[in-house]
Parts: sequence; structure tokens; C-alpha cells
Amino acid sequence: METKDKIKDILVGILKIKPDELKEDGKLYDDIGVDSTEAVEIITALEKAFNVELGDKEITKFSSINDIEKIIQAKLNK
Amino acid sequence: MNNRKVAVTGLGIVTPSGIGRRQFWANIKAGRSFIKDIKRFDASKYPSHIAGQIDDLEEYSHLSPRLLRKIDVFSHMAMIASELALKEAEIDIQKEDPDLLGIFLGNAIGGWLYAETELRDLYIEGRKGVSPYMASAWFPAAPQGQVSIYYGIKGFSKTVIADRAGSLMAIGYARKTLNKGKLNMILAGGMEAPVTPYALLCCNTYGALSKNNANPQSAYRPFDKKRDGFVIGEGAGIVIMEGVERALKRGVKIAALISGYGTTCDGKDRIEPDSSGKELSRAINMALLDAGITPADIDYISLDGLAYDIWDKSEARAIEAVFGNRAGDIPVSCPKSMFGNLLGASGAVDLIITILAMEHNLIPPTLNLDEPDPAGLNYVRGKAKEHEINKALVISRGRGGINSVLVVERGKEQ
Repeated sequence: METKDKIKDILVGILKIKPDELKEDGKLYDDIGVDSTEAVEIITALEKAFNVELGDKEITKFSSINDIEKIIQAKLNK
Repeated sequence: MNNRKVAVTGLGIVTPSGIGRRQFWANIKAGRSFIKDIKRFDASKYPSHIAGQIDDLEEYSHLSPRLLRKIDVFSHMAMIASELALKEAEIDIQKEDPDLLGIFLGNAIGGWLYAETELRDLYIEGRKGVSPYMASAWFPAAPQGQVSIYYGIKGFSKTVIADRAGSLMAIGYARKTLNKGKLNMILAGGMEAPVTPYALLCCNTYGALSKNNANPQSAYRPFDKKRDGFVIGEGAGIVIMEGVERALKRGVKIAALISGYGTTCDGKDRIEPDSSGKELSRAINMALLDAGITPADIDYISLDGLAYDIWDKSEARAIEAVFGNRAGDIPVSCPKSMFGNLLGASGAVDLIITILAMEHNLIPPTLNLDEPDPAGLNYVRGKAKEHEINKALVISRGRGGINSVLVVERGKEQ
């Protein structure tokens, strides 16, 4: 599965929303109202799914799916 | 004037005997028991493993799956009860001034299903295994927070922790707050969800639960000679309270009036009440004085009824001390024997039952009361009894001797 699809799956699972509610370039907070606690949950799930470590401020509720993909992909390519 | 009457204009009820007033009252007036074996986890080794349980909460829920993941079931119950109460009171929350809306809830133990599950994950998976919602889901004031966020309530609000007396106390404080003119309207009541592995263990440790697991429906026997303790239940009871003038102006039906409140502490023991019932009788007198009425005016008493010797006997003594010769005449009952003791939510649910009893001129019965002990009170038992109630007392008590008493009157124009 592509990195981006995997990220979307995680978001859908955590936020209990429909996949078509997700926009790739919008901020999570603006588009689907992700709050800071949900962001913590999302970060933990991403770390587990991709087996990477994410710093405190690398991904926030103001990140977009495209931002998240870039950060994760960079870590996977290291 | 701090002792004016306050109107109750909406009832929200979520219990093992039913969700919503119609289903609930049908079961209560029929005297049906909803105490069952606990099956949702293996409780078979617990000394007491029976309870009043709600199995169909989801069917009544108006909340999104996204929100439900973040809250404990006791908040979920409070949210459903709030929605039912607001609907009945015909409140359009968007048209209210949020700064003048409050929420006063009682709870005894917090949201343990969420807490237990996450603590298990903490020990198995480490800190990253724990939901970040744990911190905001489990604590006793979580339902107050969730309900206020959902409806945009921004006025003075409170969660009252006073063991089983919490919700009746919350309602008493809500009336005082309304009478001070601080708020326009308050959602008041309580919620409790003790049917979880750890919470049930704590309730068992308390030592006052019935061990009559073989006969769940006849286990909870308040004021009966063969009592061996109470049975827990889960649920919520929330009412809408507002000034009488405001309710009349809105043209909404006034279900009942809260006219008096009294509270005292026994100050004797960590667990047990004072066997004399002296402080409970003082709380009753305090509530009557606050309501500006005398013992002669009371038509019905809703009993706390813990089905434990010292509690039942001291409650009866307190009633006898206040009512004297009339103690044997006034009908009394303990309908929670049908669905279990909802701990911190029990007083609010008792108030709702008393209001429904007034509306229908029918006193719901105490179940399993075959041989009264102590004798001397006019127990309504087995079957509901027709009786006009204009003014009633609701008694709610907590561990260590917390006494809370409310006077409720038939809803009518001032």
C-alpha cells in the first residue's frame, strides 16, 4: 500500500470519518476539525504503522496529508 | 429570596428499566425487576455479580462514532439523558444565552471502563499504548465537560462528589444557584457506570452488596427482614431546572417544583451512618423549613433504602423522629429495588420517579419487601398504589453519613 493511502486509512480509523472527507492538501484542523489530542493519537498510530519516531512538533493538527507523507517518506528513505 | 420554588420542565432518564420517560414509567409502575447476572465480563468470582444493566444504549445515542471513542460510557449516559431532558423542556439551545446556562451533576466513582482499559494498555504496551483521551475521559467531572462542550454551556457549573448523595445534592445546589439569579437554566442530575471489572470490585469491597446471586430479581430487598445488601445499577437522571416565571413565560409544562433542600453529615464513621438517624432527621427538618411547610404536608417519601441493617433502621428512625404519629400513615417506597442503586445518580432518578408518581397519582412499589423491618412505616410494596401526591420528600444518603433531602411539589402555577 502506498504511504499516502496508509496515512488516510489511519486517519479514517481514528476519526471515524468517510475517506472522501479527507483532502490531501488541507490542514487537518481546518478540514476535519482535528484537535490537539486527536493529533497525539494520530502521531502514535503513524509511529506504530511506519515504525518511525516522530518528534513533538513534526506533525501537528495544522499539518496536511501531503505534509505528513513527506515527513514519513523522508524518514523511511533514510 | 433564596428559598423560592424552582421549576422542573424536562426529565431525562437512562436506566436499566428504560430510556425515556414512557418506557421507564411503564416498567416502574408495573413493578418489574431489571436486575440480572453480569455477563459483559466474567464476574462469576465476585461475591456479588448481579446488577441493573443497560444493554441498548447505542440505540438511543445521538453522538458520532468519533466522539464516542473519546468518552466513557458514564458521559454517554449523561449526554443521552441531557438530550431527552432538553427535548422535553422544549429548549432551543441556540436561542439561549450560553453564559447563563449551567450544568450541575453528581457522580461517585468516575468512568472506570475507559480508565481500566487504558491502564491495562499502559502496563502491557507502555505509555504510547494509552489513548490521549484517557486523561479527559475517566474523571468524575468528565460528563459535565462533555455536555457543556456539546451544547455550548458557558455559565457557572459544578460536579458534586458526595458518594450516593451526589446527584440529589447537585439538584439542591442548582436550585440555590437559580435563586441567586446567577443563571437562567440548569441541567441537573447525575450519572454512574459501575458495571465494570474494577468498579464492581470496589463496590464489592465496600461490603454492602447483596450476595444473593442465585436470585437476581429478589436480591435487592430494602426494609425487608431478609435483606443482605443492595444491588448496583448503571444509568443517568438529568432534569431541566429554571425559574418558575421563566417557565411560565415560555409556556412550557412545569413537571414539578423543587421547593426545599437540606443536607447534613453524621460525622461518626468512615463508612456507616449514625445509627440514631439524628442527622438525617435534621436534614429532613431543614428541607421542610426551607420549603416553608410542615411534616403534615408531606404525602409521599422516596426512601434511600440501602437494604443494609444500620442504613434502613437509621432511615426509619429519622422518619419517625420527624413525623411522629404520622410516620405510619405517609406512604413510603424504594422503587430502585427494581433496577439497582445508581450510586451517584440514584437521587436524581428517585426525584424523576417521584415526579412521575405525582403526575400519575400512583406510588411505585418497593420490590421484595415481604416482612418489613423495621415495621411501623407505611411501605408501598409489591404493587403500585393509587395515591394523590402534592408534596413529597426524596431522601438520598452517602457513605460515612452524608444526608441529602429534597422537597418536591406538584407542578402547578404559583
